[in-house]
Amino acid sequence: MLTVCPYFHVHQPYRVKQFRVFDIGQDSEYFNDNSETDLNNQKIVQKVADKSYRPTNKILKELLDKHPEFRFNLSFSGTVLDQFEAYAPDVLESFQELVATGRVEILADTYHHSLAFFYSVPEFKRQVKQHERRIKQLFNVKPKVFRNTELSYRNDLAKWCEDNGYIGIMAEGWDKYLGWRSPNYLYRPAGCSKIKVLLKNYKLSDDVAFRFSNQGWASWPLNADTYADWIHSHHGDGQTVNLFMDYESFGEHQWEDTGIFDFLRAMPETILRHPDTSFKTATETIESYDVTGEYDVPDVLTWADTDRDLTAWNGNDIQKDALAATYGMETDVLKTRKKDLIETWRKLQTSDHFYYMCTKWSNDGDVHAYFSPYQSPYDAYIAFMNALSDLQLRVRSAVTERVAKDEANQSKRDPEEQVQAQPVEAPESAVNTPAPTQPAPNNPPRRWWQKVLDAIPFFTSPSNGK
Amino acid sequence: MRVLTFGWEFPPSKNGGLGVACFGLTRELLQNGVEVIFVLPRTQSTAGDARFLFADQARLVKIVHTDVSLFPYQQSGSRMNIIVGYDKQGQPIIESRTIIEEAHRFAHQASLIAEEEEFDVIHAHDWTSYLAGVAAKKTSGKKLILHVHATAYDQAGGGSVDPQIYKIEKECFEQADKVVTVSEYTKNIIVEHHQVAADKVHVVHNGCDVVEPQRQLPILSELKKQGKKIVLYHGRISIQKGIDYFVKAARRVVDVNPDVVFVVSGSGDMKNQIIELVGEMGLSKNVLFAGPLWDQERDKMYQAADLLVMPSVSEPFGLVPLEALQHGTPSVITKQSGVAEVLTHVLKVDFWDIDEMANQILSSLKYPAIRKQMVSEGKIQLRSISWGHAAQKIRLLYQSLIQYVTTPS
Repeated sequence: MLTVCPYFHVHQPYRVKQFRVFDIGQDSEYFNDNSETDLNNQKIVQKVADKSYRPTNKILKELLDKHPEFRFNLSFSGTVLDQFEAYAPDVLESFQELVATGRVEILADTYHHSLAFFYSVPEFKRQVKQHERRIKQLFNVKPKVFRNTELSYRNDLAKWCEDNGYIGIMAEGWDKYLGWRSPNYLYRPAGCSKIKVLLKNYKLSDDVAFRFSNQGWASWPLNADTYADWIHSHHGDGQTVNLFMDYESFGEHQWEDTGIFDFLRAMPETILRHPDTSFKTATETIESYDVTGEYDVPDVLTWADTDRDLTAWNGNDIQKDALAATYGMETDVLKTRKKDLIETWRKLQTSDHFYYMCTKWSNDGDVHAYFSPYQSPYDAYIAFMNALSDLQLRVRSAVTERVAKDEANQSKRDPEEQVQAQPVEAPESAVNTPAPTQPAPNNPPRRWWQKVLDAIPFFTSPSNGK
Repeated sequence: MRVLTFGWEFPPSKNGGLGVACFGLTRELLQNGVEVIFVLPRTQSTAGDARFLFADQARLVKIVHTDVSLFPYQQSGSRMNIIVGYDKQGQPIIESRTIIEEAHRFAHQASLIAEEEEFDVIHAHDWTSYLAGVAAKKTSGKKLILHVHATAYDQAGGGSVDPQIYKIEKECFEQADKVVTVSEYTKNIIVEHHQVAADKVHVVHNGCDVVEPQRQLPILSELKKQGKKIVLYHGRISIQKGIDYFVKAARRVVDVNPDVVFVVSGSGDMKNQIIELVGEMGLSKNVLFAGPLWDQERDKMYQAADLLVMPSVSEPFGLVPLEALQHGTPSVITKQSGVAEVLTHVLKVDFWDIDEMANQILSSLKYPAIRKQMVSEGKIQLRSISWGHAAQKIRLLYQSLIQYVTTPS
């Protein structure tokens, strides 16, 4: 008995437009590029929808209809779901149809495709909960198996998942931690007693995700029969072959003319041809098999490049600086209790922003080694930091406003409270004007208009942070 | 293998990137076992181990007064004082000539030198030596490489191209067996504007010496104490170098951050115009003219600066950002430069995009992490941009042109 557990990750970030120093304090839209460049989020989502999401979902639906045994898993970032809703609602519907078959499992994730677990566990938890609510709302399911951004993983993350009720977690099946052992079994994360870890078979996964169109590869062109043979060869030395990859491998990373869609269309049938082989979702896999040993990962493990660590996101000075600046805002951002500010801050936590700043291979002049919509990692950093600086200004004024409001609430009996609202500047623009280089003092003097503002009841949504 | 090389300037005399490039390449070629005879138009002291010939020395000066009319080009505007000979008392006879006249004279002398010397291949640097290279080829029948450090199009900086220089360039490229350019950027110019066949053109990027320069005594410390940031321009003050865009970007910068001081190091034909522009734009307090800085003075300025800007309109290569980097100062450079092809740890901008230039200046001053990283990673990258690599490519090119070496080794 051998089962195959395919898992496709669906994600698009909100790319930061070219945001200049002059825009700080003037423009509070960071993600609304409308140029012809790859910073235009709407344009990208619509392009990838045509190239990947629409044709792939059509094939996946056909396969589910044709093969009752076919099963797979999906994970979505909240940022891609929001963009589908806004720019390609039919794509979202087609995903809902897949999930409605009951044979497509959705995994838990962070809403903002962030690395929050490694910088702020409380913030991480809030994003996981936000994601869970969104998945429930759109698909009416509750994920039981967790996967973290970029498949990043560490023992304490597995422990967190166990403590928070997840039955499984996904990770890279990396030789450094497996040793002689096979990724094709379930393992128990070190320090845990219930949760099981599903390990990516990176050889078979990357054959499709990375090597499929590589004409220099010995096995090119790969057809579904050969691939099924490779999978079947694990009969006897494994229980589950876990194929984890970016959903966009189909049609976007590997273009249609590589034959990737024909491959996908033929794959379930060739795999099922072997009498003792079938498909399982992550939950089914976890429920079917016992663990065979311990998987002990004390340092961060990811599915990225040959280092399999976080250095593509936090390896250089500008990445560290941008991450520190972002997570350093947490207390103040939450203090504002303003939904739009908190949501914008979270959009800036998406790991892609930091990936665009990676300079790992740029010493070889190979600037295209990493896909990035920016001309250089430095341009990415400048746009990001300027946007973050603007957000810091907005947060500072909102905190000042909040403190003033709370004070006012405390002195409700103050007769001056009766002062009625007069026409004043909108609060946002009134407080957004200070020069960006001057940090606002912690306790600025109360200004005349703050009294007036305090009298205006303004709407604050229930905080995500609670 | 012996190469007869023609150049126009050579260290230690004070000069621009051309002399630095000739020096770096020659040194590394000698290291690689290539014998270099370096011919310069005027007697000067020289650095390094090549054998030098000077085209104004007595034995050559004899023929100096002949044949100027052989070359029918009009005289170009710029003039230079040349020692054309010596009177009976041994005093030099000085004549004022245009550069074009002098380039022709250099060519005439080159043909005489080519008759006297034994060599395998000819290599001529920059347009002022192209005629000399062609003359030496005609005399000796040896293969000729012309090395393009700049073109008439760069000098024009988007304005009108000097027709005489263009004519020399175009005709000489036709005569050459190979043309070397210091960047893809320059290759594109000569393929497009001089109609040189692309497969005749080889790109050999300039290099940079990997030495950790001495730390100099700090300067401008009073400004720094006041919290000012120093942004440096180092180069000729001419239209090609884009200094006017630099001043306009400075205005945008100072509007946002008045604590930025712009230092202009250099002199040139646009100096008065730029001083006026600075006054007009109300930047007199923020733009300092330091005059041309050399040697230690220049190094001190590199080290004092927080950022260097190379705003060139058209820069075949551009050594200045590499020099600044050695001194620990990061750069903003224009995309219209050859060095942009080899240096990734810099900020790159189109010369006309004043807003973005100002944004990059302001952002890199605002976020110290970006400057720190451009320097730390840039210095690592410098190691791969060496004169040794450039010389290796040149040597292979020599070999490809020579059927067999005739000079004794």
